[in-house]
Amino acid sequence: MPSSGMPRQLRRAVLLLSFALLALASVSLAAAQAGTPNPITEEGEKIGELWVFTLIIAGIVFFAVEGALIYAIIRYRKKNDELPKQTHGSTIIEFIWTGIPVLIVIALFTYSIIVLRDIENEADPQDLTINVRGFQFSWQFEYALNDLGTNNDPAAEGAITIIGNAAQEPELVIPVGEPVEFALASSDVIHAFYVRDFLYKLDVVPGRDNRFVITANETGEFFGQCAELCGLDHALMRFRLRVVERDEFDAWVAENAPAPEEEAVANAD
Amino acid sequence: MASIAVPRPKGYQRPVILDWLMTVDHKKLGILYLYTTMFFFGVGGVLALLVRTQLAVADNSFVGNDAYNQIFTMHASAMLFLFIIPVWAGFGNYIVPLQIGAMDMAFPRINALSFWLVPPAGILMFSGFLVDGGAAAAGWTAYSPLARGAGTGLDLWIIAVILLGISSTIGAANFMVTMFRMRAPGMTMFRMPIFCWTMMVTAVLQLLATPVLASALAMLYIDRNFGGAFFDPNGGGNAILWQNIFWFYSHPAVYIMILPGMGIISEVLPVFSRKPLFGYKAFVFATMGIGGLGFSVWAHHMFTTGAVLKPWFGFMTFMIGVPTGVKMFNWLGTIWRGSITFETPMLMALGFLSMFLIGGINGTFSAAVPVDFALHDTYFVVAHIHYVLFGGAVFAVFAGLYYWFPKIWGRRLNERLGQLHFGLMFIGFNLAFFPMHLLGLDGMPRRIATYADEAGWETLNLLSTMGAFLIGVSMLPFIAAVIIAFLKPKDQPNDPWQANTLEWWTTSPPPVHNFDDLPEVHSERPLFDHRHGGAAHH
Ligand code: HEM
Ligand SMILES: [Cu+2]
Ligand SMILES: [Cu+2]
Repeated sequence: MPSSGMPRQLRRAVLLLSFALLALASVSLAAAQAGTPNPITEEGEKIGELWVFTLIIAGIVFFAVEGALIYAIIRYRKKNDELPKQTHGSTIIEFIWTGIPVLIVIALFTYSIIVLRDIENEADPQDLTINVRGFQFSWQFEYALNDLGTNNDPAAEGAITIIGNAAQEPELVIPVGEPVEFALASSDVIHAFYVRDFLYKLDVVPGRDNRFVITANETGEFFGQCAELCGLDHALMRFRLRVVERDEFDAWVAENAPAPEEEAVANAD
Repeated sequence: MASIAVPRPKGYQRPVILDWLMTVDHKKLGILYLYTTMFFFGVGGVLALLVRTQLAVADNSFVGNDAYNQIFTMHASAMLFLFIIPVWAGFGNYIVPLQIGAMDMAFPRINALSFWLVPPAGILMFSGFLVDGGAAAAGWTAYSPLARGAGTGLDLWIIAVILLGISSTIGAANFMVTMFRMRAPGMTMFRMPIFCWTMMVTAVLQLLATPVLASALAMLYIDRNFGGAFFDPNGGGNAILWQNIFWFYSHPAVYIMILPGMGIISEVLPVFSRKPLFGYKAFVFATMGIGGLGFSVWAHHMFTTGAVLKPWFGFMTFMIGVPTGVKMFNWLGTIWRGSITFETPMLMALGFLSMFLIGGINGTFSAAVPVDFALHDTYFVVAHIHYVLFGGAVFAVFAGLYYWFPKIWGRRLNERLGQLHFGLMFIGFNLAFFPMHLLGLDGMPRRIATYADEAGWETLNLLSTMGAFLIGVSMLPFIAAVIIAFLKPKDQPNDPWQANTLEWWTTSPPPVHNFDDLPEVHSERPLFDHRHGGAAHH
């Protein structure tokens, strides 16, 4: 064995591995920064906090274990022909390192269940409900005029219906600062209603009444997209989302609501 | 005493081709498995590069939506059903009988049948590309009702997966009987090499889970061809039912895909650290624990359906992190205070440790149910899949190939090329898959054929595509090393690595009957005991 060649090879391997891991570590730090989501709903903020908490624990575990790994690789590389001590295990140590993950997962589980309970709200009857229908390959958003939330007119008739297609993304408009319920239905296969900035998605399942409630706390323009493979043009099943102040929403409703006489005309022919 | 030499009739020698086609020798079948599965790894890899080329830039039309859906579906199907699951049967076939000191598998002909189901299934699955409507395009998960309506390619896919299921079910029974009944004298269950143990637990999972998948596939086939409505809500069926049955198989299947890899790592680390596996029994129990818990977490793939008991499945999913963590610590404990050298198998094993850790950690995010609402079906999950299946399983496959190459083929793969292979693959892998975490957080759904420029996902996608091609390049030194090795004569001693287990007792490669004699077995490291004069110190 060329004893002069070996250490160089070892050093190179160690260097390569630790360099790569170091690079990875710094990238993941940058990633943690860049990747921290920026939710626009009250529910999303709670999910975001849970995300950060999980990330911190994950980061600690990551650095601790990768650090121990790199340390062991450098520190315990072969230096002579002596056989290292043949330890087969240690019950105490094994109990400890079974216990640590148990504690970690119980903490994570407890927190995640608290958040889950917090965000899964039922809608009040007076909340704005939007009927979302997914179909191959776009969306339909329907607002019943007698179910428009805080500025509601229970006597109003008719509905605003927005239908998109794969070439034309439909736009969803919701008011900020009040609960909005989405009632999901599918015309064909399973889709998923997903808005990144909600940090939330829910499947749109044929034959199943899935609904969820969010309260937006930021106005602006956002994107949504189908998140469950639904066939050929799944990738084009996108929509736009505009979160606006209440009066702007009312104006939008007024502008888009079918006028009663229009509807009468429509019904006549 | 005088004796007369009677000329023996020369044994009938089959032509080489026939010999390979008709063999029931576990070693030859193991080699056939390895060749076949590595071939499909290549095919799946080419499909992956097509996927990455399409996604390299925004609004790309390199392949259309239709072709894209077929390509990514077949990428995953080939990688899972034709590469990673059967590749363990390949290693298992060659190594398990040798590690327990047996002459062959318990049922050699059934073993041949297990193997010979794989190539036709692969051909059948890929023949989808030739039929009207193309290959299966509903994802490897074939969610219904979508999969009820797709083209003929999906029927071919169903039949292929059922064939592969039969292959792995009878293979599993074979492995179990082999390990229960044919161990060398002195080898108690708790002296069985750890790779065998992981193959054992894998076999149990296959035996319990695969028939469930077969029944789901049969129901889907009936839905598609004979007017059934199992998964059709309009006909009184249930769209969620498919997911429940499918994942009841496919979550345990995730462990079918990784446990034998963990076994390989647990063979390699002790040899190149010159210490026994730290906490052998704990490791065995953790493997069983993962296997058992694996049956109680399937619905973590279904949190966003709104149709499952979220706290229960969240809790059980978190719990699986515990035995997985125990394993991680056992591996660290193994190299700790060792005397480590860095031959290529060890590099691959250390690559596994560092990358599988990430695959474990980023999976935890999805166990926190509300966080999964954000991450589910995004590229974050694609990152997770690949940190487990590539960073874990594929690194383990290569650890196993470099480690057992001298035993199987009697030659050693060149170290320098091995280092190059490892280095390029390690960097390429992280470049390809780390950015996917960020893409997922940034809202990029998985399984989309294209994305809009204004989504802002282009830079990271381009980076990822470059990484994917670097992975492709990293295979060149490996292929070169294999070719160079095959051009050289067989020159490997019985035990080139100073290893621990019985396969290194016999010649490299072993004779047809495997062993002329066996050492005494007093521990899980008979060769170590032999080298160091008895096992008194166990
Ligand atoms: C060169 C290496 C590889 C690259 C570049 C690659 C790339 C990809 C990409 C980009 C996707 C996402 C496709 C989409 O969602 O549209 C994907 C999906 C997938 N890949 Fe890979 N992959 C590689 C190797 C592997 C290996 C080795 C395995 C398994 C052993 C694997 C298993 C999967 C699975 C299960 C999916 C999920 C597909 C689905 O969503 O239905 N991949 N791969
Ligand atoms: Cu879709
Ligand atoms: Cu799972």
